[in-house]
Amino acid sequence: MNLISPIYIVAVSLGIAFFMGLLGNKAQRSSYLILLAALLFNTFVSLQWVFGLGSGLVEAMQVYTAGFKPPFSINLLMGLNESVITALINIVGVLGAIYMMSSLKKNGTGSQVVFLILFMSLNVIVLSRDLFNIFVFLEVGSIALAGLIILQKGTNAISAGFKYMLATGIISGILLIGIIFIYRFTGSLNIDSIITANPILKQGAFVSAFLIIIAIVLELKSFPANGWGLDVYEASHPGIGAILSAASATATYFVLYKIVDIAGSQLNYYISIIGVISFVGSNLLALKQENSKRLLGYSSIGQIGLLMIILGFKDILGENTTYVAFGILVSHYLAKAGLFWLSGIVKQKNIKGWAVIRKKPYFLFLMGTFIFALIGFPPFPSFFAKWTLVMDLVNTGNISWVVAILFGSMMEAVYMIRWFGYAIKGENEDIKDFKIDIYKIIPVGIFAVALYVVGYFVAPHTEVGTAINFIPLYFVAAIFILDFLPVIIKNTLAIVGMILYFYNIYPDLDNMRLIFEAIFMVGGILTLIAGYAYKGKRPGFYPVALLMYAGLTAIIEAQTTLQFFFGWEVMTAGSYFLIIRGKRSMPHGLSYMLFSIGGAYALLTGLGMAHVGHASFSMEILNGISYLPYLAYGLLIVGFLSKTAALGLHIWLPGAHGEAESDVSPMVSAILLKAGVFGIVLTLIGMGASNNQYSELAYALGWLGAITALAGNLMAVFQEDAKRLLAYSSIGQLGYIVLGLAMMTHLGWLGGFSYVINHFLYKAVLFLTIGAVVMRVGTHNMYQMGGLIKRMPLAFIAVMIGIIALSGVPPLSGFAGKWLFYNAILEKGWYFQGAIMFFSGGIAFMYLWRLIHTVFLGQLKDNHRNVKEISIWFLIPIYTLLAGIMVYSMKPQWVLQPLGNMIAKWFPEGQLQWVGETAISQYGQWAGSLVAITIMGSFIIVLVLLMLSTRKAHKVKQFDITYSGERPERPETTHVAYNVFEGLYKAMWPATIPLVEAWWNKITEILHNIADVTRRIYSSNGQVYVAHIVLFIIVSYLVIIGG
Amino acid sequence: MTIYAKLGYTLLGLFIVLNWGFLMGATFRKIGARLAGRYGIPFYQPWLNLLKNISIRTTITHGIMYYIGPVFRLTGGVGLFLFMPMVFTGSPNGLWTNFSFEGDLILILYFQVFGMLGMALGAGQGGHPYSAMGIARGLAQHAAVELPLTLAFLSIAIQFDTFSVYKIVEAQQGGFENWILFTNPFAAATIILAMLGAMGHSPFNLVKAPNEILIGPATEFEGTYLGFMQSAGSILHVMEAVLFMNLVFGGANSWIELIVKTFLIYFWSVFVGMVFPRFKIEQSVTWFFKVPLLLGFLAIIIYSL
Amino acid sequence: MEIIALITGFSLILIGLYGILSKRNIIKIIVGFSLFDTGLHVLIVTVGYIKGGTAPILDSVVGTTDVASKIVDPVPQALVLTAIVIGLGVTALMLAYALKMYQAKKSLDISDFKDMKW
Repeated sequence: MNLISPIYIVAVSLGIAFFMGLLGNKAQRSSYLILLAALLFNTFVSLQWVFGLGSGLVEAMQVYTAGFKPPFSINLLMGLNESVITALINIVGVLGAIYMMSSLKKNGTGSQVVFLILFMSLNVIVLSRDLFNIFVFLEVGSIALAGLIILQKGTNAISAGFKYMLATGIISGILLIGIIFIYRFTGSLNIDSIITANPILKQGAFVSAFLIIIAIVLELKSFPANGWGLDVYEASHPGIGAILSAASATATYFVLYKIVDIAGSQLNYYISIIGVISFVGSNLLALKQENSKRLLGYSSIGQIGLLMIILGFKDILGENTTYVAFGILVSHYLAKAGLFWLSGIVKQKNIKGWAVIRKKPYFLFLMGTFIFALIGFPPFPSFFAKWTLVMDLVNTGNISWVVAILFGSMMEAVYMIRWFGYAIKGENEDIKDFKIDIYKIIPVGIFAVALYVVGYFVAPHTEVGTAINFIPLYFVAAIFILDFLPVIIKNTLAIVGMILYFYNIYPDLDNMRLIFEAIFMVGGILTLIAGYAYKGKRPGFYPVALLMYAGLTAIIEAQTTLQFFFGWEVMTAGSYFLIIRGKRSMPHGLSYMLFSIGGAYALLTGLGMAHVGHASFSMEILNGISYLPYLAYGLLIVGFLSKTAALGLHIWLPGAHGEAESDVSPMVSAILLKAGVFGIVLTLIGMGASNNQYSELAYALGWLGAITALAGNLMAVFQEDAKRLLAYSSIGQLGYIVLGLAMMTHLGWLGGFSYVINHFLYKAVLFLTIGAVVMRVGTHNMYQMGGLIKRMPLAFIAVMIGIIALSGVPPLSGFAGKWLFYNAILEKGWYFQGAIMFFSGGIAFMYLWRLIHTVFLGQLKDNHRNVKEISIWFLIPIYTLLAGIMVYSMKPQWVLQPLGNMIAKWFPEGQLQWVGETAISQYGQWAGSLVAITIMGSFIIVLVLLMLSTRKAHKVKQFDITYSGERPERPETTHVAYNVFEGLYKAMWPATIPLVEAWWNKITEILHNIADVTRRIYSSNGQVYVAHIVLFIIVSYLVIIGG
Repeated sequence: MTIYAKLGYTLLGLFIVLNWGFLMGATFRKIGARLAGRYGIPFYQPWLNLLKNISIRTTITHGIMYYIGPVFRLTGGVGLFLFMPMVFTGSPNGLWTNFSFEGDLILILYFQVFGMLGMALGAGQGGHPYSAMGIARGLAQHAAVELPLTLAFLSIAIQFDTFSVYKIVEAQQGGFENWILFTNPFAAATIILAMLGAMGHSPFNLVKAPNEILIGPATEFEGTYLGFMQSAGSILHVMEAVLFMNLVFGGANSWIELIVKTFLIYFWSVFVGMVFPRFKIEQSVTWFFKVPLLLGFLAIIIYSL
Repeated sequence: MEIIALITGFSLILIGLYGILSKRNIIKIIVGFSLFDTGLHVLIVTVGYIKGGTAPILDSVVGTTDVASKIVDPVPQALVLTAIVIGLGVTALMLAYALKMYQAKKSLDISDFKDMKW
């Protein structure tokens, strides 16, 4: 099979460029078309090689010029790598030219020629195997780019272009010195012969190899000698930014990839060091950046730094190097070009101005796609690449590198998600809407779609990625496409979909997984029913809600750690979008996401450590981790605790849950938090369950759970906002669960699981009801409500049953948990933790009473005299859940007995004995049903007595009371609701100081201050930038010599 | 023993407890009056009050919860009685053990709240500010009392490896030297101090803040409702005393012993109340976090070493 | 001879760098850059030099045997031509930029072009 030789890329481009020069400025339209044709031709050439080489039909091709073989001639190599890279470059060329259509046409044929030459030179530096040739075309590319920079009007572009010229001039000078000396020592300019000659062995040749590599590293704008690059990113046309970031950087990176071996592998480590400094430094400094294009510049430099790390580790990564590098590279390529292009459409300098993008919601989707691809979320290729990278690095003991990489990624996530937050939620009413040129959308859209497509095809190439279940994601995508339909249809589709899925999946699950899957799926279906209460289209809600559920079910179904982590991240992304839908959720969405990502990174590292010493990635590897087990289990636990909002990692929860929409709060509170619990359960089983080999960890976890319970409940007492009260309550309840599980005994787990089920039931009831009430009365503040029992009796009953169940007062189901905990505590001997927990329970009465009293009892406000009962669509799920609570309360053995049998698998010792309906533990007995019957019997008798002894009661009016000798007439002055626990506050205020929040704020502040001070090195003075370059070379040399 | 006999004994016991509660209440007020230099009420005043209350002609209601609240309260009192073994007869199913199923301490602890909760809900619907203030104070104080009390209960449970009140009483038989008062002095001391809060007399009576009229949760209740609540209050008072008697003072082998012991326990809090003026809520909360909490810690520490 | 050329080359490079780093005037910076470039060119030629070698033209005098020791290396000479051309291009573009900069701000002081910070 004969394919078009790559030499034609050069020949055709040059020929057309000359021809276009002849055309002159009159024929802009036709010359633009010719330009496109040339670029398309290049793309075609590359792509045919991609397919040819990829399918193995053809062999890699060497092109020799002038009929000589190297070293006497320049040769080009078209291998698989080259074909892919040139294809990437040429595609950006075509799309970039389309994107810049008006600019290229306006600036005449000259600009088009330069554009073409730029892409030709990028192709050549990828293909060429000749060092000097690479130098020449790097220079040609620089000149062409400098010519294109000036297309943008304004002084900034001019001065940035000049700095760019100056810096690249110096860098290529260095490169040239290196090239000429390596020629002197090896007698060749051909990369392959130089590598064979192994110049590092010769005295002095090392320096030249060093100079060459350092020059290419500098071309990649390594931190901190990269001020000139940042200025170009900021000042030039966004189309140029995209080319610089996607095409130019890709090509230069490939050059580094080609030549790195001329120094043997001696410089690899230093390349990694420079890479990590770039990655971390650049992302850190970007924290303070508000200019969107400069921000993207910082991010690009960071991503290239990451790629350099990968390159430096190629001996360790072995055959995975290409996969990892390609995953990161292609994600960055697509996402960064997309974002630069978007910035040209949105036309907002300041990232806060990007709120305007919301006026065209589909653009928000594009932006979200790019940002989530950049920070490595599934299903994008960067996710799989990062996974493989971390697995391999941990596997080879490079944990400190993993930490550094993940820290850098974290910083990147901070500013990217913050930016996205501004876009989703920022103030945009005063900003003028942007106009869209259709030709500018095409490239952006193509790249966004490409991210999904590439991700989909990249996934199977990880060792275990083949098994990822994409079916739920297809469903999400389908719902996304149907987003234009009204709520009623989408809601029905979503519910039906979830029912079918659950029906299909449940026979395959073991009991423990079934419990969680039931909470996720049944809970999901019930909360979705509440969605019928919404009118209109509710744009964007269903895809993200289902995305969260898709992630949740993926966690349950996961057979491998990769599947688990995949589901985990999908769930995180979905829940983030759900949470940030709330009106005032911008800061809370951000902090939720950051804690989630931080947690996910801890998880990732932990999963990596679990993999050490195993060939497989099966979930079984969590059992009995052998490599640094304390650290590994600790990391896993911390990762999961970030989701259960343990004290210290909880500050995102109150705002995130409190400000979310009415039916979202129960989703993220009653349901989502259980994902973290599921993870902890898996980890603890992994830690040996009843063997409890790492009892110190479990012990620490127990204390953490107890203190979390106390802190969460105490904070809940002092809330004025009903939903925040419930949110803090969730923190406390999850503390109980964590404590129960940490006990690592049968009873502890039984108590923990009993709380898992209970908390799901009553927290869903409470959040649904309060959410529905909030929808009716239009405020979260409890002191602005009151007396609503008269208007919403059904809601009142729901809350009453909910709070009794939560408080643990017999006969309702909450008592089961309390009883089990007391027994477990006594058995385990964790008396103080237990005492703290029970004290927390006492505190819980306070906020529960406050919730029901200030909302439903007391005085009805004038503006609520006509509110209606909460929506029927909320009542249906609420009363279904209440039925669950009642069944559990009346027949606790129906729940606890099977739970006990399940837990006995891991904790056979110390089970409960069941005699009929009576549970007997080592310390006592409890007959749930009988107690319930006794209480109900007494209640009915007393009620009948009261009814017999009261005559027809005279119904009095609201203000028929005397207070301070007067009959009050304003509810506001009579409803005791604001700051009701003033006395307790006076006694306990030191415990309510938000130390944790202050600590995280301080950390944030310190990081931002470091960023702000450090970035002042970018003084914007061209000479300073040159000095940076010179210093960078000197310091690198000294370090390498010294090291 | 047939279920009917059991029911009969239980009802009889309830009757005794109710009347004993009335009598103790009257005695308390009498002592208070004498200390203040007044003559005071006759000892039968509570019965008169009950009669008066349930025969008042008009009944008002603020709504369904207002109506149900006293029912909750009285059920709470009665339930506590049902779940408590009263007189130790050497068998967990003895004559005066009610429906206690060996008397589960945890059940008793949590069921205490049942009445409080119902009362809080009922009073809340009345819409009177004093009700809400009283409940808020009551809950705060309850939580503060609960902490040392829980520690002491745990200590006792550790001591005898059981949560069964019956077994705890059983273990204290055979002479006062076996009482927990002597075998576990720290727990006993904690309970004796924390009990003051549980009983709710001065200085820990800001919840009801009794002046000429009652200012607290019950403010808005009258007539039959008040009668129910007073009955419940009397029962609860006795039951609190019985609980502490069972836990610290060796339980009772007969009703006489029960009456003597509960009287002494009850009057410990009354006498303290006569001497010390009322605490503000923040004062009472911090008070429980000092000495009682410290003693509670000691009670646990001696068992976890 | 070789040493002198090497020293000259490196000196020119350093002088050029010094000029780029210390002069404020953009034109002078460009001159510094030219010096830097020239130093590079000298270096390139030097590297190819072989003592006593003749021009790399294959004729009867040189013969075809042991060519390598008789002529100077032709490759660096080819390279230097390319490098000079590229240097020219870069310098020309820089001067064009200088013109644009002057038109924009009526100044040739590089410290006047510091608008994009951090």
